[in-house]
Amino acid sequence: MSHFSLRLGLLGALALGASACSWSRFDDLTDNAPVVLLEKPDSMNNGFGVSLATATKDEHTELLVGGTVTTSGAALYQLGEDSAPNTKATDTNYCSGDGKPCFLSSLIAGFANAQGPDRSRPLCFAVGSGEVVKQGLVMRCQDGGEYTLDMPQAAEDLLAMAIAQNQPRDFPMVTDRSDDPLLLASLPEKRLAWFYPEKSDILSELPLPDGVEVDDPSFGSSLAVLAVEGGRVLAVGVPGKSRVLLWKTEPDANPSFLGCWSGTSGMGRALASGKVNADGNDDLVVSDETQVHVLDGSSLFQLPESNASDCDRPLVIAGSRLGSFGCGSTSPLSGCERSEFGAALAVGDLDGDGDGEVIVGAPKMTVRGKENAGALLVYDADAATETAPVDAKFMSSAESGDELGRSIVAPHVGKRDIIAAGAPGHGKAALFYCSSLLPHGAGGSRCP
Amino acid sequence: MFALVNLVFLSRRGAPVFLLLALSALATGASAQPKDAPGKRLEAIRSEMDRGQSLFASGNYAGAAEVFEAGYAAYPYSAFLFNAGVCYQKQNDVDRALAKFKEYVKVDPNAPDLAKVNQRIATLEAAKAAALAAAPVGEAGAGPNAGALPSAPVLPSTDDQTSMKSLVMIETEPDGAPLRIYQRLDENAHFVLGAPANPGWKEVIATHAPANLTLDVGQYHIVVEKFRDFNASEADMTVSPGHVHQLKANLSQGKFMAFLRVSSNVLGAHVWIDDNKKERSLWGDTPHGELVPGGKHDVLVESPGFEPLQSSVELEHGEQKELEVRLERVNYGVLRIDASAPVVTVHVDDQPKGVWRSGTQPLDVRFDSGAHWLTVESDGRKTFRGKVVVPRGQILPLHVKMIPKYPRGPAWTQAIIGAAFLGASIYAGAESNRLYNELKSDNQNGSLESSDERATRGKWLAVGADAGFVVAGVLGGLATYNFIKDPLPESSVSEDKLLEFDDPLKTRPVAQLAPRRAPQNAVAVEHAPRLELTPSASTTGGGLFLGGRF
Repeated sequence: MSHFSLRLGLLGALALGASACSWSRFDDLTDNAPVVLLEKPDSMNNGFGVSLATATKDEHTELLVGGTVTTSGAALYQLGEDSAPNTKATDTNYCSGDGKPCFLSSLIAGFANAQGPDRSRPLCFAVGSGEVVKQGLVMRCQDGGEYTLDMPQAAEDLLAMAIAQNQPRDFPMVTDRSDDPLLLASLPEKRLAWFYPEKSDILSELPLPDGVEVDDPSFGSSLAVLAVEGGRVLAVGVPGKSRVLLWKTEPDANPSFLGCWSGTSGMGRALASGKVNADGNDDLVVSDETQVHVLDGSSLFQLPESNASDCDRPLVIAGSRLGSFGCGSTSPLSGCERSEFGAALAVGDLDGDGDGEVIVGAPKMTVRGKENAGALLVYDADAATETAPVDAKFMSSAESGDELGRSIVAPHVGKRDIIAAGAPGHGKAALFYCSSLLPHGAGGSRCP
Repeated sequence: MFALVNLVFLSRRGAPVFLLLALSALATGASAQPKDAPGKRLEAIRSEMDRGQSLFASGNYAGAAEVFEAGYAAYPYSAFLFNAGVCYQKQNDVDRALAKFKEYVKVDPNAPDLAKVNQRIATLEAAKAAALAAAPVGEAGAGPNAGALPSAPVLPSTDDQTSMKSLVMIETEPDGAPLRIYQRLDENAHFVLGAPANPGWKEVIATHAPANLTLDVGQYHIVVEKFRDFNASEADMTVSPGHVHQLKANLSQGKFMAFLRVSSNVLGAHVWIDDNKKERSLWGDTPHGELVPGGKHDVLVESPGFEPLQSSVELEHGEQKELEVRLERVNYGVLRIDASAPVVTVHVDDQPKGVWRSGTQPLDVRFDSGAHWLTVESDGRKTFRGKVVVPRGQILPLHVKMIPKYPRGPAWTQAIIGAAFLGASIYAGAESNRLYNELKSDNQNGSLESSDERATRGKWLAVGADAGFVVAGVLGGLATYNFIKDPLPESSVSEDKLLEFDDPLKTRPVAQLAPRRAPQNAVAVEHAPRLELTPSASTTGGGLFLGGRF
């Protein structure tokens, strides 16, 4: 009997060992999965992944994930090393309200260094509008410090009324990715756009030439700031009018209007900036309802000031164009039509080669039969004639209605950028570490 | 009408002696008087003797005495005198009784019972003298019953009908053969011819044929001694009271007949003489000896289970010859199979041989002798398969003990459950592998999430599959063990004692090799009384011989 029990025990042990091997392989895969889902904080019970912003300073990268616009807060994640990302939020008090009014913006912006009222602060985010010390644009930094930036009087009046009447307003904001970025903000309701130059908390309004038709509530719903040759090119989208307005700023100089670019339907519904080509300057990425266009930032910066009001500068724009591309198709994805291709844009150097790739969100795309699961399509703008993406990203556990790609940023991790994308349909936000553009072995253990 | 009786005796030395007797008793007639036909005379003697015997038995002694007196007057045989004397004695007529007894002694001075009769005469005379001495003078001898005793009873009256003498008439052909008559005193005694003494037997008369003898009731042995060139013969005879017995012996001459005795290694083997096609009745069963005409004879010896053997033998007249044959077994045998199961199917060397059912006769399977594979199958029983050796020319009874199959219900249950676990495990494993491959593919293209639900599902499927494999393996092992486990013994066969083939000429199988029979049994078989009818012919006559062996 004892021998029988012993043999049975040995058999069981062998089986358990084999079993352990067979089920541990799943752990081997998931422990270093190329996609990492961020844990949604319990406090963020009103949307997650609607907006994203990233900031990097001294190899330290933070990611801010926002919830529902104007009614929710945002959570901060310390991304750390790619082999061990922090998936749990380290600070959930961004625009959380907490007794002080704060309306989360649809576009939030990150700063490597932000100029506060008294000093420069590292790793700050412009998260919305509200009242911290006073009314204005709300800034919160890594150290937990908060302050506000002044707004144009019309915006302040509206914000005061919004706070008083508890009727939130959206104040979209973007920055460029330099160490001392420029913050561009807008108030679509008032068709206002203004900016805060680098290392300054003094606002400057963007003047509009007479006769330029921008009276549309989509004014300023998309923004972009390009760092070009020490100056900036500021882009404000009016997708309702299928237009993109461009300004140029230089230190110690007033901003100048470069012109208005009118395009196909939905032109400017999303804007992004980044170093697409290898000239060291940011380039502008613009989407309409079907295509994404990449404009050379240097060319735009060289445009002369314009007083034209007809928004018809196609020849100039055409000379700046680096490329345009559509949805295309890849095998695991289907349904480019009605995919809202271009709903969000980002530029990131996914392969670490110095120039960036264009990341396009298609939140309504069907993935593996899951409608509206959403996907991210990566295009190499250097080969802009190619209509097919060089990479397609989606969540392996895609669900119908995820709407991955509604928000996209490209945090800098290590010597390259990765993709952070929101899937607000089901309150998800994920980090995509790998790209097919990565040379073999360059992606670490997460990228086979 | 004559019936020829051939009585064959085997002496203890094995030497054959023969007696050919023509027996005419009671219903057949013979006469010593030349003027009468022999049959009528003998019938008349028998009639008289029977009538007197019947009267005596009914108590009519006077009538019986009258009949016997008349019989003697017509056929002067002393038996009538004696019987008449007994009748008178029963009537207390001393004088007439004495007269008949004295006449009897006178006419038959060699009577075997002479001493007894003399004793009877003395007794009667003494009784008479005593009666005369007691009676008054002048009474004796007066009147019509002068012979009767004056006072009765004074005579012994123990006689009954068994006291009647019988007449035995012995004749030989040819006449003149010396005769010796022996009376058996001990009922268990057997007569042996030529023996120095035969205890229990008493020689009562020695005479020559023809002989007319008056004998008491009893068992007698009649010996016809060697006479000229005729062979000696002998016979037994039972003498009944008040009857007439006639024996006639046709003596055989050795130069006309021969004696053949056939023996074999098989007791009871059938022998045909000059009848290889067996169109007539068999000659005898071995060992068997009989007179046969001289010359060449074909001998066929058969016994069930043995190869028939034909042989020839040449016999001179008067020659005695012993023919010993050795029969060889046939090269096939029979398996006689029954079993401890309701129905069994029998295969020999994998060839179907039949079906046996309980309650029926055992299944006989004939097969070449030697080793063969026997397979016996039955539903719900363990199949028996083993080697059996089919004997040559014999029946091997086989009793197959069919053991029920060990129930496999638990094993089947475990196997089915194990198979279910195995199937589920295979499915789970395959599903797990499919998920793993999907995840791996997603991992390859950079889409795999760390918290992908499929990883959890695939992991649990893998765990379930492996656990299922373990359970299936354990159950499979248990099922295998329980399939192999069998505490019951295998079906077996037991062999019974070999039997001989049935003999259609006999009611029981008799073929047995002589060396295998116990000595006392062999003697018993040899001495078993048997009767047989055989046609016979000789230079002096022919007929149907009724042979007896004692």
